Amino acid sequence: MPKIVLYGVDPSPPVRACLMTLRALNVEFEYKVLNLQGGEHMQPEFLKKNPLHTVPVLEDDGKVLTDSHVICTYLIQKYGGQKDKALYPADLYERAIVDQKLYFDCGVLFTKLRAVTIHIFNATGPSKVPQDKIEAITEAYDFLEKFLQTNEYITGKNVTVADICCIATVTSLAFHPLDSSKYPKTTAWIKKMQQLPFYSPNEKGATELITFINAHLKQFS
Amino acid sequence: MSKPILYGIDPSPPTRACLLTAKAIGLDFEYKVVNLMAGEHMTEEFLKKNPQHTVPLLEDNGEYIADSHAICTYLIQKYGKEKDQLLYPADLYQRALVDQKLHFDTGVLFTKLRAVMKYILPTPKKVPEELVTAVYEGFDFLETFLANSNYLVGNTMTVADICCIATVSSLVFAPINPVKYPKLTDWIKRMKQLPYYETNENGASILLSLVKPHCS
Repeated sequence: MPKIVLYGVDPSPPVRACLMTLRALNVEFEYKVLNLQGGEHMQPEFLKKNPLHTVPVLEDDGKVLTDSHVICTYLIQKYGGQKDKALYPADLYERAIVDQKLYFDCGVLFTKLRAVTIHIFNATGPSKVPQDKIEAITEAYDFLEKFLQTNEYITGKNVTVADICCIATVTSLAFHPLDSSKYPKTTAWIKKMQQLPFYSPNEKGATELITFINAHLKQFS
Repeated sequence: MSKPILYGIDPSPPTRACLLTAKAIGLDFEYKVVNLMAGEHMTEEFLKKNPQHTVPLLEDNGEYIADSHAICTYLIQKYGKEKDQLLYPADLYQRALVDQKLHFDTGVLFTKLRAVMKYILPTPKKVPEELVTAVYEGFDFLETFLANSNYLVGNTMTVADICCIATVSSLVFAPINPVKYPKLTDWIKRMKQLPYYETNENGASILLSLVKPHCS
C-alpha cells in the first residue's frame, strides 16, 4: 500500500504536473495543501523537508523528493504499470529526449513564468510586471511550435511525462494569449492534452492562477 | 560505429559539464566548436539538429540530444564503465536525488547566470547589482545542501557535482567568502582536485574575464 503524500497548492504548475501524473498512474495519495501566503513553506518543519522551500514536495514512505520533474519520473518508474512506462521510456535515447524537454520546461517555460509571478507573489509586496517579461513568453511559444512541427506530442508520437509537465506550465502562461493562427500546432497540442483522461486535475488550478495574474496585470496597467 | 560528437564552446558552462563528464568516463569523442559570436548556432544546418539553437549538443550515431544534463546522464549510462555508474546511481531514489540537483542547476544556478549574461552578450553593459546579489541565493542553497556531506548528493561524487561546478565556477564574479561559505569553499576545492578539472578551467576563466569588468 503506497504511503504517498504530496505537498502543494492547486495554482502551482509543478504541483499540477504531479497531480496529473498521479491521476495517470491511478495511485492513491494524500494531498496536503500548504498555506503559502501564510508562509507555511518557510516554517522550520517544511524547510527540514525542503531547504529550497518550494512546492511540490513528495513524501514516499518517508522518503522526501522535491522538483516536479523528479517527482513525476520517480512516481512513473516506481508505481507505473505496463502501459504507464511509455510515459518515461526505458530506452536510453528516447529517455534522453524526454529528459531534454523536462529541462526545457524547467529552464525555459517555468523560468519565463517565474519572471512574471515574481512581481506578483513577492514577499515585499506586488509590483508592475515589466512588459518585456510578458513578451518574452512568445519565445516559449515559438519553441513549442517548432518541437510540434512534425510531432503529435512534444517528444514524438506518444504522450510522455514531458507533455504532462509542459502542459501544466503552458496553461499557466495563457495570460499572454496564444494566437491559434500563428501557433496552430501548439494550439492543437493543448486541445489534445485537455482531452486526456488525467488532464482534469490541471483545470481548476490553472484557471485560478490565470485569473489571479490577469487581475494583477489589470491593477498595475 | 562513429565517435560521438559534442558541439559546444569552452566558455559555455553546460558545454564544460559535458567535457568534464566525457573525461570522467574516459569517452573517446570529437569536439566541434560552435562559434556563437559568429551565429553558427543559428544556421539552418544547426537548427535542423537543434531547434533550440543551444550548446551543448550531442550527436550520437545520427541522433541528437540537447541539454547538458540530458547529455551527461545519457553518456554515463551508455558509455560509462561499471565504476562510472556511481556518477548516476541506478537506485531509483538515489537517482532522483541526483536529478533534483540537476534541475536545481538548470532552474536556479544557470538561470541566475543567464540573467547576468544578458548584459554581457552581444554587447557588454553594466550588470545590475541585484543580479549579482541574486547569485548568493544560489550559493546559500549550495551551502545548505553541503552541510552534512562532501558532495551534493552524499559522500560520493555524482554527475550533479560535475554539472554544478561548471556553473558555479562561472558564477564566482560574485566572490565567495570562505568564512561565510565554508562548505561551498571546501566543495569547490575538492572538485578542483579532479585529475581532469583543467578541462573546466580555460572556459571558466574566459567567461569570468567577460563578466567581471561589468560588475561593480
